[in-house]
Amino acid sequence: MDDYKKFLGETVLTEEKVITYQLLSRALQVNVNVAKQMLYDFHRTQNARRVESVHATYLVYGVKKAEDGTSQSRNGINDDVDMTSSMPEVDSLGEVVPTLTLSLIQEERLRDALAEYEEVSSIHVYSVGPHPAKDLALLADVAQKALMLHGSQDTKAYATIHNPFVHQRERKDRPVAAPVKTAPIATKVAPRQEAKPSFFKTAAPAPPKPKGDVKPLAEAPSETEKATSSATAPFSKKPTPSLKRGGSSNSAGGIMQAFSKAATKKIKKETETSQPATPSGDDSSIQPLSDDGEDDSEVVPQPKSRAGQKSKSEREEALRQMMEQDDVEEEEPAETPHEDDRMDDEEPPAEPEPPKEEKAEVITTSGDGRRRGKRKIMKKKQIMDDQGYLVTIQEPGWESFSEDEPAPPPPPKAKAASSGHSGPALASKGKKNAPKGSQGSIMSFFSKK
Amino acid sequence: MVTLDEIADLGLLQKPSSKAPEPLERSDSSYKSLGSFALEKDRQYQQQFADIYFLRLTKIKPALEQIASKAWKGTIISGETAKQVERVLDVRQGELCWVTGTVYMDMPLKPNILEDVSKDRWISAPPSAKKYYSEDGSDAVMLEDDSGRIRLIGDILKNHLLVTGCIIAAIGTENANGEFDVIDLRFADLAPQPKRWELTKQIPGRKDEDEDVDMADSPSPSSSGQGSKKIAIVSGLEFPGSDTSYTVELNLLLEYLLGEALDPSAQKEVAQISRLIIAGNSIGAEQKPLAAEDTTEKRAHKKYGYDSSTYDPVPSNLFDDFLSELLPTMPVTLLPGALDPANSSYPQQPIHAAMFPNSRSYISLPGSGEPGWLDTVTNPWEGEVEGWRVLGTGGQNLDDMFKYIDSDDRLGMMEAMCRYRCSAPTAPDTLWSYPFQEDEPYIMKQCPHLYFVGSQPEFGTRVIEGPDKQMVRLVLVPSFSGTREIVLLDMETLDVTKVKIATVSSL
Repeated sequence: MDDYKKFLGETVLTEEKVITYQLLSRALQVNVNVAKQMLYDFHRTQNARRVESVHATYLVYGVKKAEDGTSQSRNGINDDVDMTSSMPEVDSLGEVVPTLTLSLIQEERLRDALAEYEEVSSIHVYSVGPHPAKDLALLADVAQKALMLHGSQDTKAYATIHNPFVHQRERKDRPVAAPVKTAPIATKVAPRQEAKPSFFKTAAPAPPKPKGDVKPLAEAPSETEKATSSATAPFSKKPTPSLKRGGSSNSAGGIMQAFSKAATKKIKKETETSQPATPSGDDSSIQPLSDDGEDDSEVVPQPKSRAGQKSKSEREEALRQMMEQDDVEEEEPAETPHEDDRMDDEEPPAEPEPPKEEKAEVITTSGDGRRRGKRKIMKKKQIMDDQGYLVTIQEPGWESFSEDEPAPPPPPKAKAASSGHSGPALASKGKKNAPKGSQGSIMSFFSKK
Repeated sequence: MVTLDEIADLGLLQKPSSKAPEPLERSDSSYKSLGSFALEKDRQYQQQFADIYFLRLTKIKPALEQIASKAWKGTIISGETAKQVERVLDVRQGELCWVTGTVYMDMPLKPNILEDVSKDRWISAPPSAKKYYSEDGSDAVMLEDDSGRIRLIGDILKNHLLVTGCIIAAIGTENANGEFDVIDLRFADLAPQPKRWELTKQIPGRKDEDEDVDMADSPSPSSSGQGSKKIAIVSGLEFPGSDTSYTVELNLLLEYLLGEALDPSAQKEVAQISRLIIAGNSIGAEQKPLAAEDTTEKRAHKKYGYDSSTYDPVPSNLFDDFLSELLPTMPVTLLPGALDPANSSYPQQPIHAAMFPNSRSYISLPGSGEPGWLDTVTNPWEGEVEGWRVLGTGGQNLDDMFKYIDSDDRLGMMEAMCRYRCSAPTAPDTLWSYPFQEDEPYIMKQCPHLYFVGSQPEFGTRVIEGPDKQMVRLVLVPSFSGTREIVLLDMETLDVTKVKIATVSSL
């Protein structure tokens, strides 16, 4: 219970910062009303020890005395010049209504300010600081800080008024219930969808993928490798914009990022122990590249910065999965051992391809001439391992797509692959891949080159 | 007079107690938005505006003629019996008669589209005049319908608020100059008023429960007004871009509404506020750059003909943050105002959800029928809150009407609008409006219980009464940026309270 004294002592006296009750309640996770009392207690005890060592501001709420009897009845006597000129008949007197005044008052002015009140229904310490608050506007910054602090936390902790009726639009991309209990592979896939909000899943949240859907992809035939890998290269930049978008709209991202560093370390540690336990047999979901190095020459290396971003988000994903389910951990480390192994091959890109879109796609809506849904794709990502080597691996992922109706039945291989590789595509991307021809969408013009 | 000693033992000025404060729950809000002012998405702007006047006249005329004939039928003045004439053109010189028509104010200071056209000026200059009214008496009042126009004279005109577009019935005679000497005039007066809870249902089960609990829990300490729901109306938040002079007050407002400020008893009162209505001008006016010298440099940034440097995203971001803080605890109805990013002509359409990246998840999907927790609505807006019919505007209708009249009596003008049965009489003359063809939505077909107008310089409120015992609570919602005031309405009695936020420092 006395934590707050230490906390306040440090921040106010040592760091010379101003603390509001809001900031205190969020920092210590206590109710706002308790925080107000803490501030009061701190202010009293400190000033008892040493006069004027801390200065407070007060928030006073109540009824003020009317400044002069008529001022509140507007348009009354004050406006009589106007009145006589034209509207003698109109009764323009407004009602006098009770006015409650909420004042933020500097400690030094409290006595004067209170004298103006007729009745005070509530008073509490708003902030304490090491100096008299000359400019109350500075408190705005502190308040902003407080609001930022609480960001993602549950507001119930400090008990603002709870509203049991609040309803929020469901974000369509959120899986209804992550199908955690099905199979390791399935769980890997499901949370990944989460991170990629898309406009097009409005009709229905994607159904949890049955295991069967995922399997064929893992055993993807490799005969189309060459064609697709070459086709992939130009599109390899595509995923990033949408990924960024997904990241920013994901409110949990902040936390996950904060954790991600520690978590990756954790993964590393585990990999050291579990390395032998991850043979290529069951880790089909994460494909290390360069199993056969024959395609190396054809593939353009991905730009490093983008790869970095991407891998970061992937890492977050990995972490999230780890938190969600323990047995995923066994699989997760697969990433890192290969990194270590492959340090010296730079970008060995040959990878089994996922050309079988038809199997691995889920169409959620197909009205109005457009098909929307998700499909399974293989995504390349580069990871900088702890020794500074770039490692490219490939992972299955889901992308949402929206394309014209006639597209799917016989998709030309190259096109399918290319759209497959465009990552979690926006509508425009899907459109671009539609067999419409050269015109394309205007959005392609805006995409990052 | 309150001294320090008197309040020394008030709740929160003591050592922290270990007991957990009881959590508060906010009252439910019964709410329905009527969408009377929604426009089609693929609307045309090629029609003429005359239809608005025509529709307004034909819709209000029957009621007005009834009132007029009740008042004037059989009136005999100097041996002549008054009779009704159908059209303005039918008025004969020297005959005592009454006629219904639309008022047109001919004012030299008023912007005039015909003048602009004849002078080949096609750029609409921003309306500069504070008032169209001129002191020298050069203004003329006309009465017109689809047949013609006649000039009205008479001292009685000065006793009434008359603006372009209002529908009146006037009795009098045409004099030798062809002017109509008005003896008396009538408005349509308040429209029929719906009953409370006509469109929404009171939630009896839950409400009763709540009340029971309330009564059992806190029978004595409940002060005046406790137990009945309230709504808060605020206007003119004008979130500033660079000006930080009242950021503290905005923060205090947020803390107040969230129920974080103040002590438990006051927080309990705040928990009764079941809804916040924002009546226009949430986003501050653009700060004009002072120096024009660096414009050449800025021009380089232009892309696709759009100069991104002229856009300041800060105010809308701040507003979005404000909303996203508030929404978890309180539903919000958001009307656009003159300064907001919505269309500038009446009726303003809802502010687009894209303006609120953080709060948009509270906005309902288009076409889902359910009102969103954050309901971005039109201006003007009509709805039913706690069973009361509510009409609200962002303030442009009143501000424009204000220019016609030599008075500062804004409440009187609000009342006049209700008596005209028209919430925006000066549209489409001086208040820009969509050229309606089929419907004239500004007509008050039903009289609201509560009529508020936002972005006003001063607070004001009054209750007016109609001939059929209609009661309308009029509220002028002051602009927060100017007055730091918000309005609380008790939703059982429609009583008004004002909350003022102030800062006192030695500066």
